[in-house]
Amino acid sequence: MGVFMTDEIKHGDVILEARGITKRYPGLVANDHVDFEIRAGEIHAVLGENGAGKTTLMSILFGLVRPDEGEIYVFGKKVNFRSPLDAIKLGIGMVHQTRKLVQAHTVLENILLGHPNTGLILDFKKAAEDVARLCDRYEYKLNLNDKVWHLSEGEKQMVEILKALYRGARILIMDEPTSSLAPPETKKLLETIQIMTKDELAIVPFITHKLPVVLSVSQRVTVLRRGKVVARLNTHEATEQLLAREMVGREVMFNLERVQVERGKAVLEVQNLSVYDEKGMKAVEDVSFSVHEGEIFGIAGVSGNGQQPLAEALAGLRKAAEGKVLLDGSEITHLSSMERWKKGIGYIPSEQRAVGSIGDFSLVENILMSYYYDDEFCRRGVIDAKKIRARAEALVAEYGVAAPNVDVLAKNLSGGNLQKLILARVLSRQPRLIIANLPTQGLDVGATEFVQNKLLEAKKAGAAILLISEDLDEVLALSDRIAPMYEGRFMDILPGGEAEREIVGALMAGIRQKAAEQ
Amino acid sequence: MNIAGYKIKLEKKSSFSGLEAAVLSILAVVVALFLVGFIFLQAGVDPAKGYAEIFSYAFINSFGVPLTLNRAIFLLLCTFAFILPMRAGLWNIGMAGQLYAGALAAFGVAFAFGARTNPDVPAGIVLPLMILAAMAGGGLMGLIPGLLKGKFNTNEIVVTMMLNFIAFWVTAHMIKEGGPFMGSGGEGEGFKLPASLQPGLFLGMPFTIWFALGLTALLQFVFTKTRIGYEIRAFGASPAAARYAGVDPFKVSVLVFVAGGVIAGLAGYHYFATVPGLFKIPKNYGDFGDLAFYGIICGLISQGNPLASIPLAVLFGGLTSGGRFVQGKLQLGFGIDYAMLGVLMIILVAFQFFFRYRVVFKKEALP
Repeated sequence: MGVFMTDEIKHGDVILEARGITKRYPGLVANDHVDFEIRAGEIHAVLGENGAGKTTLMSILFGLVRPDEGEIYVFGKKVNFRSPLDAIKLGIGMVHQTRKLVQAHTVLENILLGHPNTGLILDFKKAAEDVARLCDRYEYKLNLNDKVWHLSEGEKQMVEILKALYRGARILIMDEPTSSLAPPETKKLLETIQIMTKDELAIVPFITHKLPVVLSVSQRVTVLRRGKVVARLNTHEATEQLLAREMVGREVMFNLERVQVERGKAVLEVQNLSVYDEKGMKAVEDVSFSVHEGEIFGIAGVSGNGQQPLAEALAGLRKAAEGKVLLDGSEITHLSSMERWKKGIGYIPSEQRAVGSIGDFSLVENILMSYYYDDEFCRRGVIDAKKIRARAEALVAEYGVAAPNVDVLAKNLSGGNLQKLILARVLSRQPRLIIANLPTQGLDVGATEFVQNKLLEAKKAGAAILLISEDLDEVLALSDRIAPMYEGRFMDILPGGEAEREIVGALMAGIRQKAAEQ
Repeated sequence: MNIAGYKIKLEKKSSFSGLEAAVLSILAVVVALFLVGFIFLQAGVDPAKGYAEIFSYAFINSFGVPLTLNRAIFLLLCTFAFILPMRAGLWNIGMAGQLYAGALAAFGVAFAFGARTNPDVPAGIVLPLMILAAMAGGGLMGLIPGLLKGKFNTNEIVVTMMLNFIAFWVTAHMIKEGGPFMGSGGEGEGFKLPASLQPGLFLGMPFTIWFALGLTALLQFVFTKTRIGYEIRAFGASPAAARYAGVDPFKVSVLVFVAGGVIAGLAGYHYFATVPGLFKIPKNYGDFGDLAFYGIICGLISQGNPLASIPLAVLFGGLTSGGRFVQGKLQLGFGIDYAMLGVLMIILVAFQFFFRYRVVFKKEALP
């Protein structure tokens, strides 16, 4: 099996080289003469904000997109990928951000699926031995006969890695490898890929944020900005500040100004709330907490542990199965989402494009989503077009949404700008309670900073804020109190200032004993 | 694709103007008529002569014009019955059923006042009641898919389509031999409305044209200026986002289907009860269902724009009347009129591609 052929390649050999890669799209140069090389046995991180050209470069290296100019050499030979199949044949593997696995099949079946050597008859026994040997070698425990839907996110990712390796990958491109993992799983992943490099495999993670991850394991870093390579560094020479500056093109403040605000009276009170998800499973179980004026209450957890149903139940988009919800002391458990907007709940949903905005509507009409029910902007059922336009223009300017005018369609905005628009729409209603569900997910460093500062501003103004985030650093930095959420329950409610990273990380992975020991 | 050293590329357009859409639509009609020319040639008719006959009958001839107008009003009402749900992202395939229900209700009122046998009914009361009944009948028929959609998220296409059959056979039951609405001649048709209940022409046009024009203005206003129009469009553009913004899906579903049904009911009243010569439920009632479906085509081509629906309704109204006429006059084979309409529809829909893309020719760089 090709995976163990280490003698031919020496550590540090250049195994992939891209020269002058250029890719243009209408109105945009996604990659502008990018030079890039990968050596055997290195972890080589590629950093860049959204829109910096990471995805394009990744797609070109994997044969999904053809460059307009430039050359690619793999093991010294010039190649011309017509499809990912060509790239796979030459030993390039890809681990996508969204899992591409068959949930109802076993680990082994998923690994074998689409393998070029599987003919009509599968030799499961031999394949199982080979894959098991791979697992042993990289010290990863995985039951090959488990169905994939039983697995954790980290294990699913490992299945994808094994799948690529079993196909003979020597270069592993990973798209945002740590984005959906809980801290212990991230740690495990990083350990595993470090072991892999001993076999002279090259690991190329493409990363938007989570700079500490990059710094902890990679040997080299290439930073992209606006389609160009702006920095090529050995990791030991880099600092978080430096990398962020290169990515964004300006100085980034990492230490958020932790505003201390006098905690006021309770705005939101949740009592023994349970919520079902669309499959009829109890997704939120017996959750009780309160959020006060001038407080950020952070819910830390890996997505899929009930945060979304909880947020929707509080916003009136999902029925509460049991329990009570109170806003400013009066019960709102059975109110519609419209009534909750009017009472001062502002919900920032995690799905910006599918829920938080309407792509085919102009920016004005998107702002209108939070104003059309207000008599001031809609008298006797007729919308005051002038007034809402003026408001939209003011908000777009205030929040720095980059758009030529307010008539462009929302779908043409980048992720960061769209989130600014959503934030502008929700926050301008001055809600009593802000529910921010993954507000910085997928945003680049600059936009993340903006969103976090806006939340802090709202806190200063006395709003109660429920922050739901997968990013432990974000929760720790912003929250006054923290509830790690696991499988629909709050594992604990900890005071923000003193919460220790390890304890919160363990709790959100469902490990309670360990936390108790510490 | 490469042709003669030029690289042909499709580029996505970010927007298109109303003028562009109008020019493209006219271009589409020209292309369609050109293609249909081959059918005429194959039938041994000079296309120029064929078209001259069609258009002069449909838009100049003193017999043809009222027919064109009559059909255009009907089509426009059917189009509105379709685009109201369409703007909310829902499909009303049930205009035929809703207009039968409307017509039945209108005739039911006339029947209740004894108009089947007694020509001296109080027209001042019965006539407005007939119109209201038609609207109520269509609206009730629309309420069914609206409620089912809003409450249980039932597929509205299936529901409205099935209701068409129910309305059709109920109508058949009512007017055929032995049915309560049977005509006096026993020829399997509905009874004739007495002269007092035939509204006659107003300035040479059926008075229902004012309903059609009034609704055009009303819908244009509702869609562009009002809160409810915004809610309908938001729900149509993204149900999840609309729900998030507080739009009640139940309210929207019920509203658009009831309003659509009311308008279809008016179409039923228009077709069966206004114009002399068509004041009874005739034998070939199946045809009207067919014609109602052109409302879907007009709605799709106009992309739910009420104003843009007017020229389309006039065009299709004219071509259905002119096409049928020329088929008889030039003794063409059966179905040429439908072939023409079919080609026209396909080309119009195909041309919508250019609303979203532009074709770019680029001189290929020599290697």
